[in-house]
Amino acid sequence: MLEIRFHGRGGQGAVVASELLAQAAFLDGKRPQSFPFFGVERRGAPVTAYCRIDDREVRLRTSITRPDIVVVLEPGLLRAGSAMEGLKPDGILLVNSREEPAALPAPAGVRRASVDATTIALTHGLGTPMMPIVNTAILGALAAASGAVSLGALEQAIDRFVPAHPAENRAAARDGAAAVRVAPPLTAGHSRGASSAVARAPPLELPDAPMAVASSATIATAAWRTLRPEIDQRRCTRCNFCWKFCPDVAIELNAEGFPVVHLEHCKGCGICAAECPPGAIAMVAEG
Amino acid sequence: MTQIVMSGNSAQSYAALLARVQVIAAYPITPQTTIVEKLAEFVANGRLAAQYLQVESEHSALQSVVSASALGARTYTATSSQGLLLMHEVLHWASGLRVPVVMGVVNRAVAPPWSIGADHADTIAQRDTGWIQFYAESNQEVLDTVLEAYRIAEDPAVRLPAMVTEDAFYLSHTVEPVDVPSAETVDAFLPAREVRAILVPGVPARLGSFTGPIEYVGFRRDVARAMERVLPTLAAVEEDYARRTGRDHGGPLPTYRTEDADAVLLTMGTATTTARAVIDALREEGHRVGLAKLRVFRPFPVEAVRALAASVDRIGVLDRSFTFGPTGAAAMEVRSALYDASPRPLVSDFVAGIGGRDITPEAITRMFALLEGPEPPELTWIDLAAPEASADG
Ligand code: SF4
Ligand code: SF4
Repeated sequence: MLEIRFHGRGGQGAVVASELLAQAAFLDGKRPQSFPFFGVERRGAPVTAYCRIDDREVRLRTSITRPDIVVVLEPGLLRAGSAMEGLKPDGILLVNSREEPAALPAPAGVRRASVDATTIALTHGLGTPMMPIVNTAILGALAAASGAVSLGALEQAIDRFVPAHPAENRAAARDGAAAVRVAPPLTAGHSRGASSAVARAPPLELPDAPMAVASSATIATAAWRTLRPEIDQRRCTRCNFCWKFCPDVAIELNAEGFPVVHLEHCKGCGICAAECPPGAIAMVAEG
Repeated sequence: MTQIVMSGNSAQSYAALLARVQVIAAYPITPQTTIVEKLAEFVANGRLAAQYLQVESEHSALQSVVSASALGARTYTATSSQGLLLMHEVLHWASGLRVPVVMGVVNRAVAPPWSIGADHADTIAQRDTGWIQFYAESNQEVLDTVLEAYRIAEDPAVRLPAMVTEDAFYLSHTVEPVDVPSAETVDAFLPAREVRAILVPGVPARLGSFTGPIEYVGFRRDVARAMERVLPTLAAVEEDYARRTGRDHGGPLPTYRTEDADAVLLTMGTATTTARAVIDALREEGHRVGLAKLRVFRPFPVEAVRALAASVDRIGVLDRSFTFGPTGAAAMEVRSALYDASPRPLVSDFVAGIGGRDITPEAITRMFALLEGPEPPELTWIDLAAPEASADG
């Protein structure tokens, strides 16, 4: 049985990627199973999806803690460290990244692969520069780098189950397959970055009243952000709309009544920009 | 028959489509929403000729289908967790009015703290409302059971509402291959509802109005009698379904490798699949262990539990909820069923997987270690410590 774990952010298509992989595996004659884990259902929040592929019916209904393959849709998620948790020593790490695979951190023995799925997606008009839809490009790369599914089955699955732009998505999968690069595994002693050990969290100190655990003031959601709001004060009319609408209370008004974004609490959802009447807020990509 | 890779939620929607339901009431709640979304798609595409009612709350959703069902329509609605709790009052109305409403429920933890994870507390809290309750293990079982539930609920001997439940995410959002029977097969198995309308348009009548104590007792007793007829009806319906589709889910308490077992674990829902794999592994090591899947919680299969108990020494019960009794709900029912059994097996309860906590093979192995150990505790909370690994920060 092959176990594959996807890491993405809400809105990037990790769940759809895992489901498409399952559909492709089924077309290859396999018995697949795929399901997502949502921490919080919000755009930008980390999302994990699991896919199992076997020759016979899958008899596990649990999340994947020792994956054969880890697929990371956004390189920022590698920094959080948990993406590689439990990855088998002879496993594969595939990252959507412009970087050469040899530059990717990984434990010894792991085959590292990278593909610039963002550029491929944008070339085919999938998503926007702010929110590219990279799942089909990275699935093509996965098929080529791992053989988990055949590229033919993947294209067929895209044709059947991707409602919008199937031709473009098929082309993106083919490009992903052609563009993926694989680096040889690092030897012991040269491994870098996050370890694949399964972390054991310390025992929880549970508060008596679960309602009082936290508030927006204490939760820093900045790690979710791929875009940041930038306010053009010359166009701002001080209407306060952004301050009212920000779901994470990340905006405060200064003494003159101008909005100021507290980036440590801003998750980059873009609601402020969408609500600003004069269009004074631009969402710009994080560097 | 075609095989489609689909989610448990889609299996609910496909079953409602195949049952040719006439009225659907929809109110969204995670992780149920994709069920009614898919049904909206079927209705919009003209694949299903149903009235699709968008209502303002779960309470209204259930009330709408109860009323439509009283007029003779075959109906469907679905909910989860807090939504089911809001329906509580109308759940009693549905069984008391004897309307054969079928509802999909995605088992999700109840707040607080807020959670969208799998947990049976939402439906266990409705065990006393006069509804038939099925707990499904796989997406295939979801689809097949919804179709069977219509036949049972509408049977003149029963006429009770039924809920078919599935674990949040572990089924609701899990895609896996499902055999979808053809429309002809289902039409032959489940013809249009025989109209025994309780209410008839144009004929003024009242339902559920004020009753004195003498009649009231009779009405309640009637519901209890109808409940008693559910399991015999299920047996006949399953036999017919198996004849037409080749699939038989094994009644209210199917067993696995129990023939010579000393210790048996009783599970509900998706934990069953993982437990089966664990039992195979333990058998390899020489443990005489087996499994019983509690597929129907209401009516509780007392006779089947007694039959199982006749051949085993120890029964472990995996409760995926805790509702603040002396043990979990399933363990209480098992103990009650076995009070007069002789010899009486030991019953040990494991509360596991609540709030969406993974029920891992290791956790089930631990349950068997306790169950086969020198002194199996009456109640154990499994995995009470910190999470093993959080998926992301
Ligand atoms: S993008 Fe705007 S609305 Fe969204 S969290 Fe940041 S400041 Fe608030
Ligand atoms: S919504 Fe736009 S105009 Fe209004 S206060 Fe915010 S930035 Fe200024």
